[in-house]
Amino acid sequence: MRENYTYVVLADDDEDDRLFFTEAFDELKMKTKVDIYKDGVDLMNALNQSESTLPNILFLDLNMPMKSGLECLTEIKSNPRFKDIAIAIYSTSASEEDIEDTFVSGANIYIKKPNDFKVLKKILSDVVTMNWQYHTSGLNKDNFLLRL
Amino acid sequence: MTMKFKSLYNSERFLKIIFGLSLFIVLVMGGLAYRYIKELSDSFDEVQEAYQLHIELEKLLSALKDAESGKRGYIISKDSTFLEPLWVSGSELDLSLQRLKALTQGNPDQEEKIADLEIKIDNSLRIFEKTLQLAQKNEIESAEFISAFKEGRQNMNSVRFKVLEITTHESDLLGTKKERSSKSLSNAPMVVYYVLIFSLLILLLIYLQISKNLKILKEKNELLETFKESTTQSEIISKHGNWIWNIDDNTFEYSDNLYRLLGEEPQSFEPTLENFIAFTHPEDLDKLTEQVNKMMENEDLPFIHYRIIQKSGSIKHFKAYGKVLIDSDGHKKLLGTTADITDEIENYRLIEERNLELERNNKELASFNYVASHDLQEPLRKIQTFISRLEDKEQENLTDNGKLYIKRIKSSSARMRSLIDDLLQFSRTNKSEEAFEDSNINILLETAKHDLVEIISDTRARISSDSIPSMKVIPFQIKQLFSNLISNSLKYRRENVAPVISIRYSETHASEVPNLKYSKHSRYHTITIKDNGIGFDQEYAEQIFTLFSRLHNKNEYSGTGIGLSICKKIVENHNGYITAEGYPNQGSTFIVYLPITS
Repeated sequence: MRENYTYVVLADDDEDDRLFFTEAFDELKMKTKVDIYKDGVDLMNALNQSESTLPNILFLDLNMPMKSGLECLTEIKSNPRFKDIAIAIYSTSASEEDIEDTFVSGANIYIKKPNDFKVLKKILSDVVTMNWQYHTSGLNKDNFLLRL
Repeated sequence: MTMKFKSLYNSERFLKIIFGLSLFIVLVMGGLAYRYIKELSDSFDEVQEAYQLHIELEKLLSALKDAESGKRGYIISKDSTFLEPLWVSGSELDLSLQRLKALTQGNPDQEEKIADLEIKIDNSLRIFEKTLQLAQKNEIESAEFISAFKEGRQNMNSVRFKVLEITTHESDLLGTKKERSSKSLSNAPMVVYYVLIFSLLILLLIYLQISKNLKILKEKNELLETFKESTTQSEIISKHGNWIWNIDDNTFEYSDNLYRLLGEEPQSFEPTLENFIAFTHPEDLDKLTEQVNKMMENEDLPFIHYRIIQKSGSIKHFKAYGKVLIDSDGHKKLLGTTADITDEIENYRLIEERNLELERNNKELASFNYVASHDLQEPLRKIQTFISRLEDKEQENLTDNGKLYIKRIKSSSARMRSLIDDLLQFSRTNKSEEAFEDSNINILLETAKHDLVEIISDTRARISSDSIPSMKVIPFQIKQLFSNLISNSLKYRRENVAPVISIRYSETHASEVPNLKYSKHSRYHTITIKDNGIGFDQEYAEQIFTLFSRLHNKNEYSGTGIGLSICKKIVENHNGYITAEGYPNQGSTFIVYLPITS
């Protein structure tokens, strides 16, 4: 780690979800820095700036206008500069198709948005403290979808 | 062996061989008969000759006797009229001798005897002359006359003896000849008779064979006639017509139904190419002309498709095909079939339209699924999250009423969530052949139990199961099936009674289950899930599997009425059958039948 905090980035077009996300991190009081982008285009513009600091964990919503989460994922995975970013898919749906597509495209974990704030906090704290190297080395289709 | 013989017997070649053979035999026997008859007529000639010889010899003898008695008469009476026979017999004797010579020609023995006889007769005549001269000189008493007279008598006797010798010899000859020929001649009538019988037999055999062949020919003709009639009928029923192009003289023949396909009376116009092409749809004219030209060139017609316009104005779609046939006389013909496929094409169009509509509907359904899965879940999820925020952060700011309302909103939104989840599950339970794989059913059951582990331990349920053999199934659906059935049993448990669920396996023959009697599979895996829950009235056994059907008030039990519908859909996806038996306050039994394939 370049700093002694975890740099977390979320790209989500939904205002409420962005609110829950930031509030959850506020309440968690972990050593994190959280940046929020309101769609895929904004996110990619920010990442593609050569002097930008790259996030440790990127939370990607799938259903976004203009540039979907899957498109962002493909772009990120095709650029070697982003190879160290852990990518967590963060979506309302958990359809087989979406899970399959994002797994094949190289995402690290798939999170279905919970319907309880306490659950959300638990998920985010788990993901931030996760040993990514260990998780990624044993990654398969069964443990790709985060189960609580 | 007999088969071979039979087929040989029936063959035309056999007939030819028999005919040739019998012709040969009749010819040979005819030759034999001719020979016998020839022999018969020859021996008849011989008898005739012998008879002639006999008569001639008698004549000769009697002429000599006449001359002798004439001479004696003259010597006694001196009347010269007695001498007349003497002159006559002289020439007669010559004639007789001539004839005798002719008759004995070719027989040296007899010829010699006749020559001997001739000398003796000449001698006789010389003695006559001498005695006559002596008598005329009246020297009858002279010793010369007497010795001549005696000599004459002696000579006469030797003539008689010679004649006797010739006749005996002749009859001897006749005798041996008769003996020789009678042997073979006695066979002649038999031979002729046999030839006749044999010819008749052959004639009969050939007649039988020909009449049999004629009968077969007649039967085949009738068959052909029937076939022709049924072809005509099938042409009408299947809307096709036949045509023949005689390649050698470039003429056409059209069947009656081909005219009907064109909307015309049968044989109402000359069957020429031009007359047919005149019906073609203008847009297809070039294509058809090109095809026909190719047909003329290659003497073959691949499948072609074109349209025609009947005089009534209706457009018909035709399909044609042709193949060259060379008949036994070596004439080349192209046999063609033209079918009216207008109905087919219209049906195809209809099906295509319906397919498009179905596709549209499917797309709508898919987008509905998406709406349900994403767009409906999203606001609900937020409502639930906000409720959890309210409960966490604003609990102390709420009145008791406010807390109650929050609780009600919470349970309603939870119910809405389970409805949406179940509906999604139901719409995703589809059949796709690729998803079938050989699966260990026991593992699927364990996974289903694992998903329900919390509620199982909460209710202190006991679940026992048999070992179930592997099957080719859609794994996640079968897991879903177990999960739904077990959670159904747990949900409808009796109050204060720990649920006991037993899962049993057996094999069932289709005939034992009324609803499977007409199925294409004969044997079924049978999985029975029995519980000790509240059960249900048997009259609802069918109803519980229909979508949104519930037997209980939703405040008592939390079901959405979708779970068992999903079970039914899953079992049907596997070509199986699910049924339920209920005993109020005792429990219910669900029986799943899955076909045993291979």
